[in-house]
Amino acid sequence: MSTKWAVIDTDIHPRPDPAHVGRFLAEPWRTRYLSGNRGPGYLGYWNPIGVRRSDAVLPDGSHIADSAESLARHFLDVYDIEYGLLNVDDLAIGLSPEGDYAAAVVSAINDVIVHEWLPVDPRLRASLIVSPVDPLLAAREIRRLGHHPGVVQILMPSGARMPYGQRFYHPIYEAAAEYNLPVAIHPGSEGVGIAYPPTPAGYPSTYFEFHTGLVASYIGHLISLVTEGVFVKFPTLKWVIVEGGVSWLPPLLWRFDKNFKALRQTTPWLTRPPSEYVREHVLLTTQPMEEPDNPEHLRQILAMFDAGHMLMFSSDFPHWDGDTPDFAARSLPPALRPRVMSETARELYSLPSSSAADRALDHETSHG
Amino acid sequence: MELDRLSIGVFNVRGTFVAVLNVCPHELAPVCLGPVRGTTLASLPGEYCWGREGEILACPWHGWEFDLLTGKALVDPRKHLRRYQVRVREDTVYITIPQGQ
Ligand code: FES
Repeated sequence: MSTKWAVIDTDIHPRPDPAHVGRFLAEPWRTRYLSGNRGPGYLGYWNPIGVRRSDAVLPDGSHIADSAESLARHFLDVYDIEYGLLNVDDLAIGLSPEGDYAAAVVSAINDVIVHEWLPVDPRLRASLIVSPVDPLLAAREIRRLGHHPGVVQILMPSGARMPYGQRFYHPIYEAAAEYNLPVAIHPGSEGVGIAYPPTPAGYPSTYFEFHTGLVASYIGHLISLVTEGVFVKFPTLKWVIVEGGVSWLPPLLWRFDKNFKALRQTTPWLTRPPSEYVREHVLLTTQPMEEPDNPEHLRQILAMFDAGHMLMFSSDFPHWDGDTPDFAARSLPPALRPRVMSETARELYSLPSSSAADRALDHETSHG
Repeated sequence: MELDRLSIGVFNVRGTFVAVLNVCPHELAPVCLGPVRGTTLASLPGEYCWGREGEILACPWHGWEFDLLTGKALVDPRKHLRRYQVRVREDTVYITIPQGQ
């Protein structure tokens, strides 16, 4: 499948083998983890389709996302993806009330990704997952592996015990900024462990209700990050909202800017309208692309914010609500396609263009 | 069933044979790899009534449910599977594929 633009996928979900995670854990955590006690669990909402795509299974019964080799061959190759960002989806552990255990588990998962997945294919990059339940331990994890060339981002659950702008979390942002790594949040763990309920209205009754309302926590975090001055305190920090869709953003920013005119004296560190901080610091990923009956309406929404610099393609492979690159590209106005499908992500994560990467490789081989 | 470049799913819906193109009208998934099952029928709030067992094909990607007997998506009849004419003679199922496909 060849297209006029490169494709960089900013949200792919690998499933590292728990037995391998166990190998990277020290006692007393290893016995506990291998016994199957792996954190606070989930609320148990039922998705009748299954969260992982049932057709993404190989003839031997393994799932395509269970190894870097099959992911590269059966996903990156098939869709001609130049780079794929691995986002482990086991984020609920970061909402465990047991901060030491959570920190040990995320470190072991990161070790599996860094040692067993990244070396397999030069197209793979990874987010370092951290447990925000203890920000000092999260910062320590960033300083442990943040220098790795394949690590391009910090990832946290979007379910949280308090809004992410609050000072409690700032050690994470300080470490991320030190390594020039964007911080991303990903949904799915709302209401789990010590997190607030999945919506401010309370606990939904079905997965359908839960999934539709996920955007509520994004709105809460985004407003908090700006009003608490995170982007003033950490002027180089970038924030990535993964898998939240896009249609909610423009009207929120209108409301935000309107309130700023009246209420700015409560946040005197903000010297510009909130939408400007958002434009400079915040990026979104495309999936799940909203699908209004009239596709023109989505294009109008995309014209209401700086989508050319704030929006990055994501497939969410192999989850049930994923988008293929061609579907996502078709939903976008042609002028936005090169930026959204790859160029914005290339800049954010400093990914060399493939031709440059090939040249570097040739150079290495000829001198090696 | 694979025919040249066409992939077609053939289903036996309680004795009625149905043949559909293995491409979902939504994002073009291999829809025939999804489960064939029943579904919850329209009911009052708080009531659940399972029915149409074996008549519903659910896409393995985003879960759109299709009525195998009509090819139409349950939530939006404008979205439908591409169906082929099927005849059964003795023990053989014949599928008619229009020219040019
Ligand atoms: S591709 Fe079949 S439901 Fe989306």
